[in-house]
Amino acid sequence: MIDPKRAVVCGLALTLALSQIACKKAEDKPKADEAPKKADTPATVPAPAAPAAGGKIKIAFSAPSADHGWTGAISVNAKKQATKYDDVEFSLTQAANAADQVNQLNTMIAQKPDVLVILPHDETVTAAALAAMKAGIPVINVDREFSDPGAQRAVIKGDNYGVGFQAGQYFAKELKCKGNIVEIQGIAGISVTNQRTKGFADAIAPCKGGIKILAQQPADFAPDKGLTVMQNILQANPKIDAVYTHDDDMAQGVVQAIKNANRDKEMWLTGVGGSKAAMDLIKQGGLYRATFLYNPTMAASAVALARLLAKGQGLSDLTEPVIPNLIVMQAQGVFKDNVDGFMQIGF
Amino acid sequence: MTAPGLSGLRSALRGARAQEIALPFVVLVLVIIGTTLKGTVFFSTANLWNVLVQASVAGTVAVGMTFVIATGGIDLAVGSVLAAAAIIGGHYFHGAGSAWFMAGTVLAAVAFGVVNGLAVAWLRIVPFVATLAMLAAARGVAQQISHQTPVALYDLEALTRIGSQRVLGVPIPAIVFLVVVALGWVVLNRTRYGRYVIAVGGNREAARIAGIRVRSIQFSVYVLVGLCTGIASVLQTGQLASASPVVGLGLELDAIAAVVIGGTSLAGGRCTMIGTLFGVLTFALIFNLLTLENVESQVQQILRGAIILGAVAVQRRGH
Repeated sequence: MIDPKRAVVCGLALTLALSQIACKKAEDKPKADEAPKKADTPATVPAPAAPAAGGKIKIAFSAPSADHGWTGAISVNAKKQATKYDDVEFSLTQAANAADQVNQLNTMIAQKPDVLVILPHDETVTAAALAAMKAGIPVINVDREFSDPGAQRAVIKGDNYGVGFQAGQYFAKELKCKGNIVEIQGIAGISVTNQRTKGFADAIAPCKGGIKILAQQPADFAPDKGLTVMQNILQANPKIDAVYTHDDDMAQGVVQAIKNANRDKEMWLTGVGGSKAAMDLIKQGGLYRATFLYNPTMAASAVALARLLAKGQGLSDLTEPVIPNLIVMQAQGVFKDNVDGFMQIGF
Repeated sequence: MTAPGLSGLRSALRGARAQEIALPFVVLVLVIIGTTLKGTVFFSTANLWNVLVQASVAGTVAVGMTFVIATGGIDLAVGSVLAAAAIIGGHYFHGAGSAWFMAGTVLAAVAFGVVNGLAVAWLRIVPFVATLAMLAAARGVAQQISHQTPVALYDLEALTRIGSQRVLGVPIPAIVFLVVVALGWVVLNRTRYGRYVIAVGGNREAARIAGIRVRSIQFSVYVLVGLCTGIASVLQTGQLASASPVVGLGLELDAIAAVVIGGTSLAGGRCTMIGTLFGVLTFALIFNLLTLENVESQVQQILRGAIILGAVAVQRRGH
């Protein structure tokens, strides 16, 4: 029989081996012309130290592992942006959970990158970010702002309340404040979901109950969950005018549930994000009317910001010689008549 | 009902082990609750087929999982393999048409099963660990090949018909699921192979002495669950009209939970395909009912937990 103790040891060994591979992968980038280590970085002021002449700027990016389309696109965008720069040495690590991310960040801090870009799992990552700042490594936070302002030099984030609000305004206008709708949310109970729901509710509030939310269910940002949740909702509700979904990737499943039930003439829907697939459907016309940008290109912009920060430069068209510390992306609505302008950032 | 009928029923109930009637009873209660609360919205052919369609993906996987668990093994990789197989099919066989896509997807899933089977049967890696490794690796394969973007398959008409078409009024995924369950039942209960699977799970040493090629049997069940996962992957992509690297998250837990509450023992050697069918239906019905009622998802999770615990507790009393 199998000895349980041996099984545990095997499991641990395997986990270790896997994490070794993961770390290896992040370090795969050529290191031949590594910049000389900076002698002394300031202890408290996380202002950029000028990179050594001729040396490369080391940017380390820490993101959650790609458990749905959007987080996947975050990593892809960051990597793509980094390859555009000859003077950047880029590494990317993905963590399955907050605890892993904290461990990875501590490893990264020890390697002294010039700038650390973090899309944190949640607030528990704050301490690691504070430690980085203390060690003189400025942190750029992507999308999930730390409540402790000392934990980050700059924040670049999407506007969850904004996408909900823009979507709500669109529904109010298109339905003329009257109709039955369904809301397919992301993961229940996280702030992203709460904000997208609240923004939407606030925007349709002036309709004074004219727009009735028949059903409101989470589908975890996953297309397969979107499919099954919507299949059930379609059974329960014989007349639906429109569907507000919190995510383009998940909406793919919702669209198919409606199409498979032959009810695509009855209702229309909107998404959030700005995925390539969603934009293609919007361009075709029909069921998929709009999406509201919450674009993972913010990861690319974060890498650009990190580079400017390391070089001690500001944004070129702004007056200030340093980068701003808060950038909130516009929750731009993408419709059939303007979709062509956004196609190239579809993910 | 006449008196002899009643007493006959009573003695039949006394004779049956608690575990055999527990789940059908739960399903019956759920159906009664559903009909009371939602009337014809719930108890309509459209919705009942809908429940079967919803059960089809996890259910098809659960049939294969029943064989694996019957040998005392486990397969944690099915969710990742489901996604990886669809992505491999979508990426390499998309241009060749629906039939090639389906063949490619199923074969890819079988190939993952072969690797799992070799790892367990010949490298003697504990199934939990071997398939845990595959859970990570297959998801990585899906994301690497797809560059973390879904593959649209709208143009594969025969494939997308799986999601929209009915045969004699029955949705195709429901038919496929029921056929797979029936085949699974026959193989498990009416063939020598099925007896060997149970024998290996019951007592490996005794099975070996009896002349059963234990390793081959162990290997084969992982290939079998791979095959079932491949079929489930086709059902899923047919309904979604796209292959996505992020589908199937947590599918392994759904499938294992259904098998276990059905009455199959995690220790191996004791298994029931009908139990698995009812296990899958129980979860699909809860999900259906609570969504029809627009109950918050937290409540659904609490209920799922309670049912797993309750069902397994009843089974422990049953023997």
